Amino acid sequence: MNQATHYQAMDDSAPSQLQSIIADSVERLFAEQITSEVLARFDAGHAATALWQQVVEQGLPGALMAEEAGGSAASWLEVSPVLRAIGYWNAPLPLSETMLASMLLARAGLQVPEEPITLIQNGRLGELALSADGHLDGRIFNVPWARSCRWAVVADGTGQVALVDLRQANVSLEAGSNFAGEERDTLHFANARVHTSGQLQIADVQEPVWVFGALIRACALVGALESSLDKAVSYANERVQFGKAIGKFQAIQQQLAQMAGAIGAARMATQVALRSACDALQAEPGCRSSLAFDVAVAKVCAGEAATLATSIAHQVHGAIGFTHEHTLHFSTRRLWSWRDEFGSDSQWAEVLGQAAIAAGGKGFWAGLTQRQF
Amino acid sequence: MQALDIRPCQLDAKTLALRTEVREFIAEALKDYPAHERAKNWNGADPEFSRKLGERGWLGMTWPKRYGGHERSALERYVVLEELLAAGAPVNAHWIAERQSGPLLMKFSPDVLAPRLMPAIARGELLFCIGMSEPNVGSDLASVQTRAVKTEGGWVVNGSKVWTTGAHRCHYMVTLLRTGPRDDSNRHGGLSQLLIDMRAPGVTVRPIYNMLGEHDFNEVFLDDVFVPDDFVIGQPGDGWKQVGAELALERSGPERYLSSTQLYLEMLDAADPQNSRHSVSLGRVAARYAVLRQMSLGVAGMLARGDNPATPAALVKDQGALLEQSLPDLAHDLFGGTRQPGSRLDQVMRYLTQTAPSFSLRGGTREILRGIIARGLGLR
Repeated sequence: MNQATHYQAMDDSAPSQLQSIIADSVERLFAEQITSEVLARFDAGHAATALWQQVVEQGLPGALMAEEAGGSAASWLEVSPVLRAIGYWNAPLPLSETMLASMLLARAGLQVPEEPITLIQNGRLGELALSADGHLDGRIFNVPWARSCRWAVVADGTGQVALVDLRQANVSLEAGSNFAGEERDTLHFANARVHTSGQLQIADVQEPVWVFGALIRACALVGALESSLDKAVSYANERVQFGKAIGKFQAIQQQLAQMAGAIGAARMATQVALRSACDALQAEPGCRSSLAFDVAVAKVCAGEAATLATSIAHQVHGAIGFTHEHTLHFSTRRLWSWRDEFGSDSQWAEVLGQAAIAAGGKGFWAGLTQRQF
Repeated sequence: MQALDIRPCQLDAKTLALRTEVREFIAEALKDYPAHERAKNWNGADPEFSRKLGERGWLGMTWPKRYGGHERSALERYVVLEELLAAGAPVNAHWIAERQSGPLLMKFSPDVLAPRLMPAIARGELLFCIGMSEPNVGSDLASVQTRAVKTEGGWVVNGSKVWTTGAHRCHYMVTLLRTGPRDDSNRHGGLSQLLIDMRAPGVTVRPIYNMLGEHDFNEVFLDDVFVPDDFVIGQPGDGWKQVGAELALERSGPERYLSSTQLYLEMLDAADPQNSRHSVSLGRVAARYAVLRQMSLGVAGMLARGDNPATPAALVKDQGALLEQSLPDLAHDLFGGTRQPGSRLDQVMRYLTQTAPSFSLRGGTREILRGIIARGLGLR
């Protein structure tokens, strides 16, 4: 095109300086520290406590909090390299959960504790009843990293955010895990005391833990997807059969290209949702936002990509990818786990589908362009 | 991996008013246009409708004024395209001329053909088709056999083209052919693109009816057709480079994921909101639409910045065709055996079930696209 000057494309999605700094430091830390030995030790039941200390020293858990609250006031786009790196390097830490919990507490005007914090969206994965005098009763399952977390943020659908001390006698825990051996515990609350609570409304978001939780998992899925693709492409270029690298066979190329397409879609959908999160957090409480729509799209695309990519990555790797010694399973077991968490792709698809059916043939396209049905 | 990266592109506020304007125009111009016609999407052709778009200034939107354009942004053009396609407007008559022939002339014949022909393209009056494939040349384009031999003041062309969409209604055909000898060490050398006047002596167009019995594409026979020197696009021998430059324009537009939209709209109207099989399946498709729109828009942004995003464009087209082709099968899954014969859903499904196989053939087959993506990944 010889008159590019006539084009006024918006290129405002270039990474900020803070984003680049965060990306460099988290990549360096995880690439050095999360070795396959560390992951194997984690699988054998040893928590990565030294690594947690290092992410704390880098200030990552508080990255999304305002500076007044002791954070670095980074935006969701700026912390996105951390969320992706957790997936790419399989970081076995309650890091994204603590980042989100800290942001919610700080925005609700509550004191943010130092220790790791997990997340509960009341009504999802169980029901908790809150008494008038601030006590919780009930059971919630699949609470991420509960054993490793001193605290839990409990959000409900009315804007209330409560901080609960999980080490009190009125809270008991049944250990559980996802397919990757990451802690997903069941918590029983029997007249457990709420430590502090406050009100929080982010744009028109009804269930902040569920929606932002799905966003952090979608980002981690993208990281793990990229890692599985990198591994599969390297292997296809190295492994020689019938006198040539298997990556030269069209059958392998076609599969990896399809996998890359699904990953490209997941990456785009999460990028859009991250920007939408930034917008929602700057909007007035109650204001219309496309966040729930964009997160639903991101979780559907990332979950579907995980289903396809795990199958193709294992097929391309052949038998070696099925061994514990090979590192592929660190990615694929997480992909199978995370596609489930904070709403599976079919759960989010159902929400989108109901809204699309309600919009009908007449309203669909307008809804799609506004990113809200 | 980087070769596949597409950055999100945000539409600016200027496009909001334009979108409303286009929607209002479509609501009026197509108010009696039935669902089974909308189902044809960009395969539907109506030269009168194309001229109306030209009058509105919605063709050649990004081109310079001296070429009859309107010097608007690539993203404004994108908004017009996606609105037309989502409504199933009959845009095929001008589609190829506006999408790729105009930009091709502007880039490779800026002083001769562009000022002469582009203003009429922008008015929606001058229609183009593309002569690439031949009876023995499909995906392997470099092996075309149509030849042009130099003569006094021009070239004499002999050969034939096939699958030429719209040749029966177009004024010109951009024709890929051989002007130099075949050289196995440089398969892409000696190829050129010539502009052939479809009314010239020696040009014969014969219809090929598709499996629905419709006439969209043709065979074109070229017997001693004289082409004046002015109608060589760029320099002789530049043909392959030109084809490469057109591909990103050809592969990433919203037409590469919206072709089956009318069927999706009919399914939404026929769906039962209480039936979770309906809502989950249709919701997965809604997510696909949302992300493909962003990907297609992202590539439009890259084109607007002057990049040549050939690999991301291949990726968008491959993913888009998967969406387009999944819809007839989904309609069968959800409404097979139960829909009312002759209903809108039935008519649209009838058409798209039978045209969908072409979506991963036209404009680069799935296998070719995935080969390009694989190269972008660092394979081969």
